[in-house]
Amino acid sequence: MSAAGVPKDLHARIYAETEWSLSHKLRHAAQSVVGRAYPRIFGMSREPSWLFFDLVFPTLGMCSFVFLLRSRGADEAWISATILASALLTFWTSVIWMMAGQFRWERDSGNMTLYITAPVGLGSIALGMAVGGAVGMAFRAGIIILGGSLLFGAQYEIREPLLLALTMLLGIAAMYALGVCLAAVFLVSGREADHLGDLLNEPMQLLGGLFAPVRSLGIFGLLAIGILPLAPAADAMRQLAVPQLAASGLLPVPVELGILAVMFVVFSLLSHFSLAFIERRGRADGKLLTRAD
Amino acid sequence: MESCSPVQIDLTSRTSRAFGPLRGDAADAARSLIASARLAWAIEGNWAEPFFLLVYLIIRPLAFLGLFLAVLSIGGTLNPASIGFVVVGQAVFQIVGAAMQGPTHALLDDRERYRTIRYIFATPSSLLPVSIGRALVKALIAAISAVIVIGVGALIGMPMRAGGPDLPLLLVVMTLGLTSIVGLGIALGAVCVQLRNDAWGYPQAVAGSVFLLCGAIFPLDTLPRALQLIGAALPMTWWIEGVRRALLGTASPGLLGELSTPLLLLVLTVGTVLITLAAPRLFTIGIDRAREKGYLDRSTAS
Repeated sequence: MSAAGVPKDLHARIYAETEWSLSHKLRHAAQSVVGRAYPRIFGMSREPSWLFFDLVFPTLGMCSFVFLLRSRGADEAWISATILASALLTFWTSVIWMMAGQFRWERDSGNMTLYITAPVGLGSIALGMAVGGAVGMAFRAGIIILGGSLLFGAQYEIREPLLLALTMLLGIAAMYALGVCLAAVFLVSGREADHLGDLLNEPMQLLGGLFAPVRSLGIFGLLAIGILPLAPAADAMRQLAVPQLAASGLLPVPVELGILAVMFVVFSLLSHFSLAFIERRGRADGKLLTRAD
Repeated sequence: MESCSPVQIDLTSRTSRAFGPLRGDAADAARSLIASARLAWAIEGNWAEPFFLLVYLIIRPLAFLGLFLAVLSIGGTLNPASIGFVVVGQAVFQIVGAAMQGPTHALLDDRERYRTIRYIFATPSSLLPVSIGRALVKALIAAISAVIVIGVGALIGMPMRAGGPDLPLLLVVMTLGLTSIVGLGIALGAVCVQLRNDAWGYPQAVAGSVFLLCGAIFPLDTLPRALQLIGAALPMTWWIEGVRRALLGTASPGLLGELSTPLLLLVLTVGTVLITLAAPRLFTIGIDRAREKGYLDRSTAS
């Protein structure tokens, strides 16, 4: 022991405890991801009201669009596409409120302090939220498709199930990666965050061509398909699951898959840097944990 | 040492007031309403610079409108009558959604976000006009969006009534409709305060259900028979139909359109009177129960 009572090997011990090997880091990150994903996947079994609300909003919207289409005597294939779009919408809603808005909500409810003080990176937490959210929403999306099909007699003709699965996977991955980017934006937003969430809802449903083909938006559709994961995902899924509507697609499916893959990579990188930036700025300014209201 | 005499507290000036969410005279209620409306404006209207607020008020409802028009165009070429039907329904529903969610969100905001409801309750303010004031400002902000939607609708070919809007009819249906929807909103707020989970979600769920049932974007006849009956029982159905007649000069297609305007007004009036009589009582019962059970103090972290 030194004269001041500080152990002589303190530096070495701090180094040993904080400088982990790559395998240790990966194992720790994986544990963090699983730990954060767990409540999102299994939480609904303890809070049935969450499941109810996750299902009721897309279902009500779906019914409105279906009745609107029926009042106009539209082709039944569009009703199948609407049900599919409603399933995709559950993921998008989850991206807005359970990803983008989550850190802000955690801050306001006091959990953010725990995240920051815990020896876990925000990136691992965000990835856990995304994985848990996507798995939980997949269950809800399945219920919506099943319920919508039974209720309105929708039919699908899936000739390439693997391609459809890949489209869904890439679309969901790109959306959640965008959600992490937005989480950083929401975190630095004040009262604007709620309104920002609203702006990401209906306007993005329109731009994303969720219920009507993105092709009908002209130049805006092309723009949307390049920046908004919802657009290529919805367009490609409609072409693959409802072949009668393939002609309504803006781009061929392989091209849209490529766009989704690029989006996933770009948004993942952006989210990594934005979270690191926000955390650094937040610590420096002392505002990361300050309630917006 | 001076002798102490018992402190006399004069309670006579306030003995006429019952303790609870509905108390005081009309002047007290008016003061509470104005104060809460100013507060609501501070919360809802000044979160951004006026320009950005206006952009927000424009973008979202127009996107909503665009979404419905895009879906409508799937069924064939858009005709002006269909555009008018959807534009007015969607515009009025902006107000319906805001006014219906207003009281619940105000109560929950004050309870959980700002944690001030216990203090409001302890003041001589009556919680009922406070909630109504908050709802009215939300409705007013939504009305700006509604006007913008109708303006855009007129620009894209919505056929307006020859000779301009029927202002007397518009004024009557708007007054009745707004009164009924605020009444439903405060009743819903009193229910939601009792809930432990997801209280925020219920007004949105109710508004979504009403949107589906009240013929806002498609004729009521499109719905299955049982849902048509529920839709016909909602004052919002008659309100939207009344606004369509006042602005477009034409009735909706289907059964609703076959009714005369005086009959429509009668139905809307009866519905509004019933709601106006029942809603304050429901609110008082709900808030009193919440106070007794300690729900006004709790935070659900939802």
